[in-house]
Amino acid sequence: MPELILDNLSKSFGDTTVIPSLSATIPDGEFLVLLGPSGCGKSTLLRMIAGLSDISSGELHFDGIRANGWSPKQRGVAFVFQSYALYPHMTVRGNISFPLIMDAFRPWHHLPGVNSFMRRRLMASPAISQRTEAIANQLELGALLERRPAGLSGGQRQRVALARALVRNPSLYLLDEPLSNLDAKLRMQMRAEISSLHHKVGKTFVYVTHDQVEAMTMATRIIILDRGVVQQIGAPDEIYAAPANTFVARFIGSPAMNLIPVTVNEGRLTVPPALTFFYEGPLPAAGPQILGIRPEKLQLLSEGNGPLPAQVAVVESLGAETVIGCRLLSGATEEHLLEHDLIFVRMPGVQRIPIGTRCGLGFAPGDVTWFDAATGQRRAS
Amino acid sequence: MNHLSKLPRFLLLGILAVLAGLPVYWMATTALSDESQLYMNRQVPWPQIGNLGSLLSAIAAVPAGRWMVNSLIIATGTTVVSLLLGSLAGYALSRFRFQGRGFIGFLLFMTQVVPEALILVPLYAMFITLGLLNDLAGLALANAAFSLPVATFIIKGAVDTIPHEIEESALIDNCPRFGILTMIVLPLIAPSLAAAAVIAFFAGWNEYLFASTFLMDRGLWPASVGLASFIGQYETPLSVVMGTALLFSLPAITFFLIIQRRIVAGLTSGAVKG
Repeated sequence: MPELILDNLSKSFGDTTVIPSLSATIPDGEFLVLLGPSGCGKSTLLRMIAGLSDISSGELHFDGIRANGWSPKQRGVAFVFQSYALYPHMTVRGNISFPLIMDAFRPWHHLPGVNSFMRRRLMASPAISQRTEAIANQLELGALLERRPAGLSGGQRQRVALARALVRNPSLYLLDEPLSNLDAKLRMQMRAEISSLHHKVGKTFVYVTHDQVEAMTMATRIIILDRGVVQQIGAPDEIYAAPANTFVARFIGSPAMNLIPVTVNEGRLTVPPALTFFYEGPLPAAGPQILGIRPEKLQLLSEGNGPLPAQVAVVESLGAETVIGCRLLSGATEEHLLEHDLIFVRMPGVQRIPIGTRCGLGFAPGDVTWFDAATGQRRAS
Repeated sequence: MNHLSKLPRFLLLGILAVLAGLPVYWMATTALSDESQLYMNRQVPWPQIGNLGSLLSAIAAVPAGRWMVNSLIIATGTTVVSLLLGSLAGYALSRFRFQGRGFIGFLLFMTQVVPEALILVPLYAMFITLGLLNDLAGLALANAAFSLPVATFIIKGAVDTIPHEIEESALIDNCPRFGILTMIVLPLIAPSLAAAAVIAFFAGWNEYLFASTFLMDRGLWPASVGLASFIGQYETPLSVVMGTALLFSLPAITFFLIIQRRIVAGLTSGAVKG
């Protein structure tokens, strides 16, 4: 399998630059997830790797060889489209075997009339039909081989698209939001199937999604993109534990990391306008900073305890855990709510807390991540 | 109650069917009328089967079969040229971005604005130079020049509706561009191809002006010119004209009945999500 190197890749459409400059190395066998919000350039990047979009500048290397001008065929990749992109006039068998048939086709086989004859002949050949059936059975499509895509459910169509990608045994699999059209239950099932498929085939997968749960559960490494710029590259747990900036901190985690703007002044922190408390851990330089803390690291305490007085505004019970959204109070004397985002606390099990309850929020200094208020970048602790 | 609500619809459709069928009925009635009655304005409004024998012998006296075969050659040639070139042109106009794309579309449109009679003389001169006078293939080419733009627009419109991902998927599957056109795109736009074929076929079948100008040999005449040749200075055998016209319309009707089954929508359903 080729090692894939993206060297200062950029993509522009006219005057609009979608990806200014992107570099990354994708080693053999990795499950790399390109994660970012809609319009961040992740699908464009995938299409450039596949050879479906031109590269405006920079270099793409497959196993050390410059591949900028290579056709999709030369790259030998498999691509699973968000919309499945099945051939509607062909049966499931026809769809799955199509890449194998194309590999066996000679140029003159494409002539009208000749093509349908040759396609049927090759499809019935033992090598192609056995391979097609083996892949179909692997993805539980064996009983559907003679059906057309219009007669399949969303999940079945998705599996046909996967089977078509698998059948040629390529070295690189590119998947463009393949689960986004499925319902939640099916998505979870397919997520597990794709992960196990990756383990089974052991090839490199590059997977585009805007769903952080997919990214966290499937990836060996994640590239987080925003407006075409890499925000962070790392393993899911690394990114979760130490987000590079406030964008990543907000994007990864559900609920996201709590980001509280504070002003540091002589060992004290002030949440504007007037909530001031002492902080025992190491502090960054004086001035405006952002204090970040994951919801599961916050403790919901009784009123009067903890450095942050708050009031419960939202309670979301999920069965195994409860997410509680609180608003900070400005202080013990002036008890009005502060105007900024809700602070989320994650607690195990079912918690029956009435909305409006006064409480305190506490945390251990070691669980805090500091960000620069001006740049949004994480500060070294 | 349900049947009652359908009654006006059936009535309307019935009236429309009668209106559509009336000319054909009148053609058959005239064909089977006594010639003398026609000239005295005493046509009987129903077919007189007794006149069938004399009608058939009158038709047998003219090379109706040869004319029909000529028409078939011209119409088929027009259709094949229009569909072949129209598929390539329509696909290119839909999928490729190139300089002058809009201008080519404009030129194709202009062919529909210019009347045939206007280009008759230049085309005649061109046909002399190319040696295409008195040639059925030449006539098919001339007809195709007018039906090709229509076919191109129909095919372009149909290709526009096919999701790009399907073609990109074929590219990834190692299918060359020509293969994508023949194996993926054309089967998906079969209904539009059938519609374009109907238009091109009938344009070739019904064409009269070019055929009467470019074909001097009586044996090469198509049905349209053959039919017109019945009109004499002093006499026109109306029953024979109608009988032959009825005969000539049969292959065209058959062609339409065969191809209309292809004009069905919804072939692309299931291609992409949904």
